[in-house]
Amino acid sequence: MNAAEWKEKLSRVGESFSSAISGAAADNIAEVELQYLGRKGELALLLRDLGSFTIEEKKELGRLGNELKSRLVAALEARKAELGGGKAKAAAGLDLTLSGLPFPKGSLHPITRTMDRITASLMRLGFSVAEGPHLEEDHYNFEALNFPPDHPARDAQDTFYAAVKDGSGKDMLLRTHTSPVQIRSMKGAALPLRVISPGRVFRAEAVDASHSFVFHQMEGLYVDKGVSMADLRWTLDAFIKDLFGSSAKVRFAPSYFPFVEPGAQVEVSCVFCGGKAGKCPVCKSTGWLEMLGAGMVHPNVLKACGHDPEKWSGFAFGAGVERFAMLLFGIKDLRMFYENDLRVWKQL
Amino acid sequence: MKILYSWLRDFIENPPPAEELPAKFARLGLGVESSGRSGAAFTGVVVGRIDKIDKHPNADKLSLVDVNDGSATMRVVCGAKNIAVGQMIPFARVGAVLAEGELKKAKIRGVESEGMICSAGELGLEGYDNSGILVLDPSAPLGADARTLFAPPDWVFELEITPNLAYCLSHYALARELCVFYGLKFKEPALPELPRAAGTVAPVAVTDPSLCPRYTAVVMRGLKGARTPDWMAERLRAMGSNPKGNLLIDVSNYVMYELGQPTHCFDLANLAGPEIKVRPAADGENMKALDGSELKLSAGTLVIADREKPVALAGVMGGFYSSVADTTDAILIESASFAQSAVRASSRKSGIKSESSYRFERGTDIELTMKAARRIAGLLLEAVPSARIEQVSDNFPEPPRLPVVTADPARINAILGTAMTDEKIFACLKAIQPGLSPEKPWKFTPPSYRRDIETVQDLAEEAARYNGYDLIPSASSMPVMPASSTPMAEAEAELRGRLAALGFSEVYNYDLVSLRDFRNCLLDETQAVELLNPLSSDYQYLRTSMLPGLLRTLRYNLNRGRTSVAVFETGTVYHRTKDGKKEDRVCAGLMYGPFPEEQHWRGGSEMSDFYHLKGVMQAVFGGRRGFRFEKPKHRPAFLQEGAALVMKLGAGEAGVLGLADPMAVINSDLKDTQVYYFEISLAALAESWKGSFRDRVPQVRAVSAFPAAWRDLSVLVDEKREWSELEKDLGSLPELARLDLIDVYKGKGVPEGQRSLTLRFTFSSMERTLTDADVSSRMEKALKKLEASFGAKLRG
Repeated sequence: MNAAEWKEKLSRVGESFSSAISGAAADNIAEVELQYLGRKGELALLLRDLGSFTIEEKKELGRLGNELKSRLVAALEARKAELGGGKAKAAAGLDLTLSGLPFPKGSLHPITRTMDRITASLMRLGFSVAEGPHLEEDHYNFEALNFPPDHPARDAQDTFYAAVKDGSGKDMLLRTHTSPVQIRSMKGAALPLRVISPGRVFRAEAVDASHSFVFHQMEGLYVDKGVSMADLRWTLDAFIKDLFGSSAKVRFAPSYFPFVEPGAQVEVSCVFCGGKAGKCPVCKSTGWLEMLGAGMVHPNVLKACGHDPEKWSGFAFGAGVERFAMLLFGIKDLRMFYENDLRVWKQL
Repeated sequence: MKILYSWLRDFIENPPPAEELPAKFARLGLGVESSGRSGAAFTGVVVGRIDKIDKHPNADKLSLVDVNDGSATMRVVCGAKNIAVGQMIPFARVGAVLAEGELKKAKIRGVESEGMICSAGELGLEGYDNSGILVLDPSAPLGADARTLFAPPDWVFELEITPNLAYCLSHYALARELCVFYGLKFKEPALPELPRAAGTVAPVAVTDPSLCPRYTAVVMRGLKGARTPDWMAERLRAMGSNPKGNLLIDVSNYVMYELGQPTHCFDLANLAGPEIKVRPAADGENMKALDGSELKLSAGTLVIADREKPVALAGVMGGFYSSVADTTDAILIESASFAQSAVRASSRKSGIKSESSYRFERGTDIELTMKAARRIAGLLLEAVPSARIEQVSDNFPEPPRLPVVTADPARINAILGTAMTDEKIFACLKAIQPGLSPEKPWKFTPPSYRRDIETVQDLAEEAARYNGYDLIPSASSMPVMPASSTPMAEAEAELRGRLAALGFSEVYNYDLVSLRDFRNCLLDETQAVELLNPLSSDYQYLRTSMLPGLLRTLRYNLNRGRTSVAVFETGTVYHRTKDGKKEDRVCAGLMYGPFPEEQHWRGGSEMSDFYHLKGVMQAVFGGRRGFRFEKPKHRPAFLQEGAALVMKLGAGEAGVLGLADPMAVINSDLKDTQVYYFEISLAALAESWKGSFRDRVPQVRAVSAFPAAWRDLSVLVDEKREWSELEKDLGSLPELARLDLIDVYKGKGVPEGQRSLTLRFTFSSMERTLTDADVSSRMEKALKKLEASFGAKLRG
């Protein structure tokens, strides 16, 4: 077959399709489609024959073939539309508003979801997860964190003591913060180090709408050469924006924790009033929410972990997870986290 | 700590307006808990007199009172109990502006009230009895503006001062801080020159100067009957302190709030000797404290003693016998510096906390003792000009050595991530230490009150406070680092996700439980870790099992109308061991009631039982290598015998599941015992998570390209034969792709002691399509096996 013969065949396919499609009805249009445009249809067979032509010919004939194909497809669709084809008949007798089958649906606790989200967010910034025990030694919970014995800063952390002694004969305690994991991670470790540690903490406080003797914290720590407070701010900026949206703002104010120097309180623009204050019950009309404590790792802490504070520096931060979860899920009373009312948790 | 604006103004030349102070405090790290107006900020209130009291016609607890306000008699509805005819009272006329706002005409229980008799709280006055109406002095002039009876309007700030800023715990110090950081002009208080040459009436001896590095003492005589002036009483009241009226008592508090130096006045007549000895107590020595309590002192507690006995717990509280009284004429004023740890130790041991111990524990300025002594002497002389000073002594053997910190501006910028100019940094350091020389390297010696400054990091914080923390940019030089989680955390997350997807809700219970929880759940409390200082007996132990908490959750929800509960919790359980304690992470849960829980119009819900929970565990562990159920060798604690299984992962035990011990359930105030419980060891799970991701994902087998063929077979088998036996035996049939048990039946048509099992065999070959004959011959084999091994009979 030469090129002229092929062209003629092609035009014949076009003509016979035209007559077939105009006579097609709803019940046989699919046959027409198969006969001309199917995988083994007339057009496909013709195009397959192109293999024996020269490259120049292939180019020209291929173009003609594809043009025809487009025309046929368009004509087919038009005819289908005329016939009302493609429209399924409405199924009868279904009340579509009846509920679907109740596949079991459980839920994750809001604290879990908050901690998982914060963890994921910070892992993307290169923080690895670290863990520590709940029953802790005085050394890790206080001493190595620059709380010497008889330091008044210990007063701020009402501590539960347990009837178990540690290796040095001191009463063990329930950790009052996740900061001991800083020491456990840093002590004798190879630097640099970038870790987070979510977990449960304990303080001997009476339970009310904003206090609980069991709660959760998220610790962050980065130690390297030349770490600065600007790095800290950048990290917190990134993670706060990830949680509350790109319009959330972060600001620092001076604060004190024995294990950092300088220390900062981290405030986030109010997620409810958008920092515009006015009459906002959440931020008490200040436009800002106190969300974290942070600062540069205190030289005494580095020393207690066997690292030279002249050579290494780092930042640390700690957040109360309940506070984040309350803002994220609109929970107003802290006790709700431990009541486990399924009428609430099933909404999650 | 409370701070009065009017008092701050004593020490600042041109103070900023009160409204601007909260922001200024916050910028320096001084937490502002509250700020508000105080004193007589009200208007429209006059001195009135109660002329007549009648019962309210419609309310037992209310009275109708005739009040004469100097020009007319008004009828007022009043709810207070402490009213009496003839009392002078603050009377607010309609239109008065009180603490809560403007007073409007009101009808109370049907009777119109033409004003209000006010309580201290309604007037916004602090430091007065607020249990009823405020009864005024009988001499108060009728009809006068009530404001004239009280302190002028002021501002009170409640500050939260962190231990590092303890040097700000006074008006003087806070004013100084504002002046240093905001460039304001500081005013020192006026102090009298004390006669240095005065003699020695009461010699002072300090046994250990490291515990009491400085002891300043002033003896004054001729003070009998010294009364506290009104302005001082007013300030003390505004501070929330209760002035006694005796100046010798009140002046100590006043000077402490003013300068931050705690002092104490001893009645010289009751000091044996008279002499002062600062010494450690002997073991078992007694002291009667100021509040009358008998203290048994332990050895080493630092006390102030006279010749015979301890007369004060150093820095904490004075003693009973040497305290000043209205008859006191001569006093010894103690203004000392005590070691922080010594004061904290005696405060803790004695259980006494005071404003004084609070300040000493946080550290006081050693240079302040003489200033405070002079201030007290000055105030006493002001009140009693005839008083005589008989002794001024100052035991101060060795001034403390202050650190010298090299203030390298580059280092300060590196810590903060800032680019402050040298000038900016120097301005801050110079403000704190005016004596700092501009010559580099800057050798910074902190002033005596700034004992918190020891390192260049401390100076960096000062530079940031001085120039504002907003100066710290958000900019990162952090290199990328690979991040990883732990096997425990990853295993836990996957488990939680799967349980939630299967209909279980995650709950959080406290780690702390009661003795009753142990007893109810048949757990052994001797294995538990007990707290030394529990909040209450409800929270006395650390849990050894998740069961008590989960049963509590179940009960809580059933009591609130739920019929179906499927919950789980991941957490820590604690055990006492021979050499201390052991913590284990576990995931436990329970299932009770209809499953699925929601009623559906198509029906299909049934009560949860053993097989529901087993199915959940199958789904949770599905695809995990080496997972299987086994019968327990010993009955797992808190599960019912014969209704419990062990879950294994490889060689290790991963957990248990089964019917919760009915006794534990009943003990926990639950009626129905069909509670199914599981507990999974996260350590075992984490163990199986070790290694790479590839190590723990399942390896898939290819499936046949040829169609499979299936046949069902119903047999009668002795009901004692277990399914797993049959399953194992039939597993060896050639080309058996699946074996499913699709029906189990006992009852009509099945002989006693037997059960009918319907098995579905699915055969599939990798090489060909199996013929009918192939399948039939395999089914015959299967039946023969069942007959031979289990005495099974084909069911007709």
